[in-house]
Amino acid sequence: MLFLCTSVLQAQTKKGDVLIKNGTVITITDGTLENTDVLVRNGKIDRIGKNLKAPNGVEEVDATGKFVMPGIIDAHSHIAGTSINEGTSQVTAEVSMEDVVDPLDVGIYRALAGGVTSIHLMHGSANVIGGQNETLKLRWGSTNPEDLRFEGAPRTIKFALGENPTRGGRSRGIQPQSRMGVEAMLRNTFNDAIKYRDAWNAYRSNKSSRKVAPEYSLRMETMVDILEGEVLVHCHSYRADEIYMLMKVFSDFGIEKLTFQHANEAYKVAPELAEFGASASVFSDWWAYKLEVYYSTAYNAAILTENGVTTSINSDSGELIRHLFHEAAKTQKYGDLSDNEALALITLNPAKQLGIDNRVGSLEKGKDADIAIFDNHPLSIYAVPQMTFVDGVKYFDIENDAADQRIYIDPESTVEDVQILYSNDHDRCMEGANVVNFTDLFNNK
Amino acid sequence: MKILRKTLFRLLFIIPLIGFTSNLKAQSDPTGESPATRTYAITNATIVQAPGKLMEEGTIVITDGLITAVGKNINIPATAEVIDGTDMFIYSGFIDGMSNTGAERPANPERPDNLFTPDPPNYYAGITPENQVIEQIKVDENSIEAMRKVGFTISHTVPYGRMLPGSGALILLRDADHPDKLILSEGSSLYSQFSGAPGAYPGNTLGIMAKFRDLYKNAELSKNHSELYASNPEGIARPTRDRVSEAFYPVIEKKQPIFYNASNSLEARRAMRLQKELGFNLVLGNLQEGWDLADEIKSTNTKVFMSLELPKEPKNSKEEDKSDEVKRLEERRMEFYKKYVSQYAELQKAGIKFGFSSIDARSSQLKDNLLTIIEHGLSEDQVLAALTTNSAELLGISKIAGTLDEGKIGNLIVSKGPYFEKKSQIKYVFVDGEKHEYDVKDGSKVKEGDETPATNLDAILGAWNYEFTTPQGTQTGKFIFTNESDILTGTMTSSDGTPDTDLQNISFLNGELSFDFSIDAGGQSVDIVVVGVVDGNNYEAEASVAAFNFTFPIQATKDEA
Repeated sequence: MLFLCTSVLQAQTKKGDVLIKNGTVITITDGTLENTDVLVRNGKIDRIGKNLKAPNGVEEVDATGKFVMPGIIDAHSHIAGTSINEGTSQVTAEVSMEDVVDPLDVGIYRALAGGVTSIHLMHGSANVIGGQNETLKLRWGSTNPEDLRFEGAPRTIKFALGENPTRGGRSRGIQPQSRMGVEAMLRNTFNDAIKYRDAWNAYRSNKSSRKVAPEYSLRMETMVDILEGEVLVHCHSYRADEIYMLMKVFSDFGIEKLTFQHANEAYKVAPELAEFGASASVFSDWWAYKLEVYYSTAYNAAILTENGVTTSINSDSGELIRHLFHEAAKTQKYGDLSDNEALALITLNPAKQLGIDNRVGSLEKGKDADIAIFDNHPLSIYAVPQMTFVDGVKYFDIENDAADQRIYIDPESTVEDVQILYSNDHDRCMEGANVVNFTDLFNNK
Repeated sequence: MKILRKTLFRLLFIIPLIGFTSNLKAQSDPTGESPATRTYAITNATIVQAPGKLMEEGTIVITDGLITAVGKNINIPATAEVIDGTDMFIYSGFIDGMSNTGAERPANPERPDNLFTPDPPNYYAGITPENQVIEQIKVDENSIEAMRKVGFTISHTVPYGRMLPGSGALILLRDADHPDKLILSEGSSLYSQFSGAPGAYPGNTLGIMAKFRDLYKNAELSKNHSELYASNPEGIARPTRDRVSEAFYPVIEKKQPIFYNASNSLEARRAMRLQKELGFNLVLGNLQEGWDLADEIKSTNTKVFMSLELPKEPKNSKEEDKSDEVKRLEERRMEFYKKYVSQYAELQKAGIKFGFSSIDARSSQLKDNLLTIIEHGLSEDQVLAALTTNSAELLGISKIAGTLDEGKIGNLIVSKGPYFEKKSQIKYVFVDGEKHEYDVKDGSKVKEGDETPATNLDAILGAWNYEFTTPQGTQTGKFIFTNESDILTGTMTSSDGTPDTDLQNISFLNGELSFDFSIDAGGQSVDIVVVGVVDGNNYEAEASVAAFNFTFPIQATKDEA
């Protein structure tokens, strides 16, 4: 079952030492501390306190008048991937975004410039059971995808309900063409996985030296890992009925770890989500881009929070990711969340949803030194990120912000053709799903 | 006694057969095409026996396909055709580490009815590792002669296809009446690439990586099962025939490497990632972005054939009032051009012994590219080694090829002047001991200096009627080239009412016309590159659609204005 993970060696990534002096330290888990220092040793937070002295050779950063907070975590992103959808069939649990991490995507640097230190690089939503996602640390500058892996983060996988997967089904004349078909497909696939697990368990417990192994399926291996709780499910969803449906399916199969992505109608089933222990990762105020997303409210995150649902606000966009702190601040207008509740939506809560809250999401002794520094309170409309650290290494500094951040450059590119706007900034969820074939190229109709 | 009788009985049949075949060879050749002798002697030449090992005024003798003598004061057999090698430089024939030379691209597979399943038919998904490249090899493929005339004599040819097209073979770039006669050895590689099936699984890198692991793991299980059954079938389920899995057996036994077509750095890292997980012997072919990979190549014990395709040297804007930002961007672009052309010297310095692969390069550009690589730090000897001894070693044929030593295959290049001088020309290429002669242009016709002769744009200005065939039928229209104050511009019109398209990157040099254009395919821009030769009023070209790893021919004729 650990086939994928065992043999890939983890590259040694850079770890930094720094003393951040005299800032307003927003810890998330232990209040907000005025005139406080944060000492980072070897990539970890070593001490938080007053009047700390920099050990020999450790750089000091003066944060007087500035705000120091945990690095922002985006639980739904499609930057830094060379492919997003393997949407060619309805169950592709075997594919993994870890194979398509693109460390050269300049979107990584843009995210760092928005105080983001970790993203959840997700497979798209073209199919019911899409690929496995990859949790990354934004260690910009390396050309090796391995260097961006959030080492030790749990595996996660993308599921998708509703219009996206049924659109593909209907256009191709295959299951699923309706929400009923989606549910049937999920149940059938889990039942197949149970049969597969039984076959392999029987093989493993067979003591004969002349036993013959059953067929191996990386797809079913992954489904079994989901059943056994080793892979956290993040499900693209909008409507309350489909959200409730998936909780019933998961209850039937004994799967506990579940986060609903988008989940625009989650507020309608907030108590049910809380009872199940499911989380939600939502937009602040974005909807009406297709029929199933009409019934929405900007109070979604606040209602979920008030009902005890672990909630995060995500970007799903290379543009929104640059100002997730503004997105979080909207929950104070729509729902009166406290500063700490609002900031938890983009720090500790997404960390919990990704299973990395023991490492990041708050400023605590022993946690990773993934830190963002702002000139104003991060929930202020005037806030501008100043510096961003991952593992104590500074990857963004507004005072030293070169215009050309590209890592690889195509020598045959034209210089005049400067593209400032990112053309795919919304909904890369379906990117690559509408595959153009060669026949279509010359089809003039 | 019985056995002896049986043997005698067989011999009675075999002996006349042997007599018959040798008779055939002795028959006269009414076409007059077969050579009068298979013995050649080139005398008084500069012989580069191996990189850095040079003999002046030497003689080399080739007899019946093999090099039989190299040195000075050599007795020349009476039957030899003697070639005066004065002013000639002789090199061992070049070896191409990975190409499609000699293979003909098969027609696109038909779309099956059951396309949208988790496991579409293998022929469409591109999972055909059991195929062998010889099925695609055609003796009259143009690429054989195109590569031979620039000095290549052996090619590791891999099949066309998608994810796992099949196994490659080493072929001799000789003339023959049957593909079998080109084969030096088969099963040299299991060829793999990151090409998804259009609209079907695996559609892109995501699916390809997963499917590769799945296939490999099942092949291991299948191999164990077959061996268990072969040792004693009693009480064991009979293994079903599975040619896909069987194709992996030699890879699992490390008797056959996987050649991965990995042109960019991310693809190369993905191939090495699979290698680390699964443990097979990996060769990276067609590597174009290797400057950051030396450590990983070494730690995974990966062999490398670097691509002979180079980017065009960027041209900075001539505007005088260009902004500092434009200047900086141009500098960085140049910095990266240098990375591409200097990486060969860098990898050499890092201790990586590589050969070359021509798979993405055009034969007409190979020599220029080699000279560019030399200009950027790789020595001539090192380039020659990459073309000969390194490739031979990496492909496991050092005993028969790579140097000009007695006993090796008669593969050699006879060049008027040192090969790595820009103006030198190849006079003969010997493949398998057979002579191929080329016209050498008189020195006086080549202009002074190293510049290529100026191109007369008039040859292409005006309208050309093009025609090409796609799955949708034949497309026609015009390419119109105009000269706007010494800048060549072009437009493509279409007879079916599609709006006109501007042609980009138009280049016309030494009779070769190339350009590209993009078309809108349902919101997705697709680039098509056209490269071909202008001969009077005819233009024969090949168009390639990189996005689909697909090429098709285009013909055009010039309007008589």
